Amino acid sequence: MSLEDSVRLIVEELLKGMDQQKSQNSSNNLPLANSVNNNECEIKDLAEIDLQRYLQVPNPVNKDLYEEMKLSTPARIGVWRSGPRPLTDTLLRFRADHAVAQDSVLGVVPEEFPAKYNMVSIQTLCSSKDEYLTRPDLGRKLDDENLGILAKGCPKGAMVQIIVSDGLSSKAVEANIPNLLPALTQGLEGMGVKLGTPIFVRNGRVAIMDTIGEELKPEVAVILIGERPGLGTAESMSAYIGYNPRLGMVESERTVISNIHKGGTPAAEAGAHLASLIKRILDAKASGVNLE
Amino acid sequence: MAYGNNMAKEMTLVSVGIDIGTTTTQLVISRLTLVNVMPGSQVPKVEISHKSIAYLGKVHFTPFEDRQHVDGAALRKIIAKEYEKAGVRPEQIDTGAIIITGETAKKENASEIIHSLADYAGDFVVATAGPDLESVIAGKGSGAEALSKRLHGCIANIDIGGGTTNIAYFDRGKCIGTACINVGGRLFEVDPISHNLTFISPPAQMILSHFYPNSDQTQNEEELVIIKQCLRSMVECVERVIFQEPLLVQDSCLVMTNLLPNVKIDGVVFSGGVARYIYLPGINEWWIHGDVGPLLAEAFRESRINSLPVHEGTETIHATVLGAGAHTVNVSGSTITVSEHTLPLRNVPAVYPELSASGGFTWLKSTENYTEALYRTVALIVPPLPNTDFTTILSLAENLAGELPSIKGEPKVVIAQQDIAKVLGQTLQRLLPNIPIVCLDGIELAFGDFLDIAKPLPHQDAVPVIVKTLVFAR
Repeated sequence: MSLEDSVRLIVEELLKGMDQQKSQNSSNNLPLANSVNNNECEIKDLAEIDLQRYLQVPNPVNKDLYEEMKLSTPARIGVWRSGPRPLTDTLLRFRADHAVAQDSVLGVVPEEFPAKYNMVSIQTLCSSKDEYLTRPDLGRKLDDENLGILAKGCPKGAMVQIIVSDGLSSKAVEANIPNLLPALTQGLEGMGVKLGTPIFVRNGRVAIMDTIGEELKPEVAVILIGERPGLGTAESMSAYIGYNPRLGMVESERTVISNIHKGGTPAAEAGAHLASLIKRILDAKASGVNLE
Repeated sequence: MAYGNNMAKEMTLVSVGIDIGTTTTQLVISRLTLVNVMPGSQVPKVEISHKSIAYLGKVHFTPFEDRQHVDGAALRKIIAKEYEKAGVRPEQIDTGAIIITGETAKKENASEIIHSLADYAGDFVVATAGPDLESVIAGKGSGAEALSKRLHGCIANIDIGGGTTNIAYFDRGKCIGTACINVGGRLFEVDPISHNLTFISPPAQMILSHFYPNSDQTQNEEELVIIKQCLRSMVECVERVIFQEPLLVQDSCLVMTNLLPNVKIDGVVFSGGVARYIYLPGINEWWIHGDVGPLLAEAFRESRINSLPVHEGTETIHATVLGAGAHTVNVSGSTITVSEHTLPLRNVPAVYPELSASGGFTWLKSTENYTEALYRTVALIVPPLPNTDFTTILSLAENLAGELPSIKGEPKVVIAQQDIAKVLGQTLQRLLPNIPIVCLDGIELAFGDFLDIAKPLPHQDAVPVIVKTLVFAR
């Protein structure tokens, strides 16, 4: 039996159980706290439960300690069991989180998003998400049309060129940019740094920075890009910074700050931190291992 | 690709702890290792990773000029000699604390002495006192705090010194309450040869006169019996405090502070000079130290407290001095804003805001109490915000920028409870370009705390911070 089939079976069983509960409810007219709504078959969104506060073990010996352990990690610990298999809601939640991660990879940043933050919007050679996932090389290149948009919309030779890209998580861009970008801009401008017009790149990889660098010749480029989502969060973002970005630059020349999301470094604080870091890179005229 | 920050380096701080107690004075020098605990690709976070004792000084008797005055010159000599023996110079000391404890903190010149000593002991050595802080420091130094974390329970540390018994409860690594009771080994002093009582401290005198209202009664009874009766009564007072029972009339002169919550205790750790005889009973010579320490230990052994699970701490006699030397320093968050040449700062009072009519925070009223010349500046505490969005921080910063110019002192110090110090600081710098700002996070503060803030660590944005309570008993 495949996983899909077993899940279908479990769900069917669950629904059957609910029906039974429903008839029981109507017979004694007592609403049960954890049962479904009597009138409609309303199921609470599993993904809304805060797993770190959800105690599944019935009658734990030491509830305080159990709670403390759960709160200490986002990992799925203390989930209890049904015979040798996980509880149904544990399994369903796992699949729900996996679905969120997949949605985030396959999702699209809204059309109006770049304009809202005054970004020039371009697209790599990847014309679809499928192509983006299967052809990393194309995610680093731009066609003549997009290079033309850059040349027209962005001044050359800025001190710092900000680039935003969906990368592997469109949700990361939507969740973090509204807080990160103003903090980063404020921080850099406060230190007297002149910024270029920010760019939004659809279906971009980190090294699109090199292609843009070659075209616009900024002193420093920073790309804010969605990280590959995990089961913990789908909203994590990284910032890669390169001094003198150009075609042929090596990975060790990039400085990276990762794990920017609500549960990691909050976006606004990360923006402020990036501003200081970029200032240091400008002063040292080096990034990556050359900065150390 | 390379990681954002040159963070692999370890840093070492040399820290001194000096405990000036009712009976003894001791100095200890520790080395604190600080390291960035985050992976290189993430925003750094500096923590103290290791503490080791570099030098454990001899135990000296605390010098007094008379019963009311500590002998400052003699104390300075002791400390100078210990520094020499340890092979360090005051300018090599990075941080640390001098703590004046027990009965000594009540002496008339305590505050003056300890502050002049702190200046002598090193640039960033702080003077601390106050029975609550002493309780916490002793519990950290004895290992009770670490034990409570390891056992995931609530551990009471009972530090019994010459003048006071300091109690601190640690629940899973967090101090949840303290108490200070005037019960100690040196409240009675006895001539070791003649066994005659040579000194009775005021709290002991009050207990004595409670049981023997007429002085001729005491003449008929043997001194040992009288002392034992008083000590038993004192330990029973400690029992009543710990077991949350109503206090009796005679307890009121003993209980100095009591902020212990009513919780189940999973175990007890004893520390301090008297505790040594709790863990090592069987002493025959009661008057070996010329005081009632061993007898008091015996009274504790016979008390109901001993029926709780008693654990041995990692340190007994030296708990407070080790706590002062190694457990007083915190490290701030690593994304902070510090204007140039603003640090170090000493004795900055932490000030909580009030809710203003418009629903925001206002610090104007709460800072009015700190207008004396004594304070160079104040630290404004920012309570947790509903979220850390940029717009939320911006409106907080605008609010602060409106009030800061009319609040006395520079640099302006702001302490946030969430990880927002860098963005908040940068926003404030934009709004108030000519005002020096120190904006920190990652430090837990309570009302009435004072802060000492050191210079930033090398290669880091983080700063060492000592949180203390500067309350001298008058």
